[in-house]
Amino acid sequence: MSSRGKGWGTVAAACVGLWLVQNGSENVTPPVPSAAEAFAAGPNAHTEAAADPLPPSAPVRLRIPEIDVDTPMMRLGLGRNDTLDVPPAGDRNIAGWYKDGTTPGAKGTAIVAGHVDNAQGPAVFYALGALKKGNRIEVDRQDGRTAVFTVDAVEVYDNERFPDEKVYGEADRAELRVITCGGGFSEKTGYRGNVVAFGHLIGVR
Amino acid sequence: MRTTARLLTGTALAVVSIGALAAPAAHAGNSEALEVYPSTATPGTIVTVNTLACGSRGHGIGDAQSLGAGDFQLRPSTHKQVVVGQFTVPQHARPGTYGISVACDNGKTARGDLVVKHKGPSGHVQTGVGGSVGPDTAQVTAGAAVLAAAAVGGTWLLRRRASGAQGR
Repeated sequence: MSSRGKGWGTVAAACVGLWLVQNGSENVTPPVPSAAEAFAAGPNAHTEAAADPLPPSAPVRLRIPEIDVDTPMMRLGLGRNDTLDVPPAGDRNIAGWYKDGTTPGAKGTAIVAGHVDNAQGPAVFYALGALKKGNRIEVDRQDGRTAVFTVDAVEVYDNERFPDEKVYGEADRAELRVITCGGGFSEKTGYRGNVVAFGHLIGVR
Repeated sequence: MRTTARLLTGTALAVVSIGALAAPAAHAGNSEALEVYPSTATPGTIVTVNTLACGSRGHGIGDAQSLGAGDFQLRPSTHKQVVVGQFTVPQHARPGTYGISVACDNGKTARGDLVVKHKGPSGHVQTGVGGSVGPDTAQVTAGAAVLAAAAVGGTWLLRRRASGAQGR
């Protein structure tokens, strides 16, 4: 290669390096669900018939293979203003379920929540926003059975416009909601909303 | 268009007449407003109702049997012309809207609605503080390495060019 060619090569490398540094310095935020995963986008091919609900039994473990989630489950109550309590922030791999509500797999709407991150970095539901319709969520229960859910939609809501009835409302079949923070991040006010994965029971193992 | 309008009017009339028939005779036409507070309550909550229907120093019997709370008394309150009564939402009451009626001693009646809601979560959850939000350190490191290599390479090229020029 000519000396001139080497010179241009050096300039090009410098440009690439600058771009990498500049682009990498921009903040990376947790994945946000695409519009195609919302209910409004319509049902997709993976929609499967609902399985018969199970009798109530507390969940002990929850797995979402597509986003490498495998977490123990703890009981959650209600905090101030009836908002759902959350697991301790110090533990990056723990999710919780609303203990006075429906247990996952039983008839009704079971509520699960976990952190997207804590002060140290990503937590159990960091990639919840990357879930797609038709993905599986499995819940091991105290009765030894595993409730298998399919994802019907993944939606994101602004904190001020959280649809209580849609997320927490009663259901005639066994349904599941998995909730975490998301929907954009601001240094001043934190996460702007919640990401909610909606699912229904399709099988029992 | 006119047919549709006529059809709609007919339907509306039918709905009104069915409604009138369905209402118990005693309530027909003269049921007055019953204020229910809180208008939405969870099981275990004490609900207070009041009405002007019974007149000042009147009395009445309230009927909360629709939600399994039985009958309750209404007595004159400290506020002029208002009678007040209370009942407790039973623990077993299912979520839904229930009609509460009052029969006054003066023969008048009053009606109001109570919505029973079960306590459950509401609002968004606080499940993140932003600890995962930040620069892509791996990419920044790679970029810095490429920049450093380019600087070293550039310096070497310049030096060689300088020494080449001297040697000519």
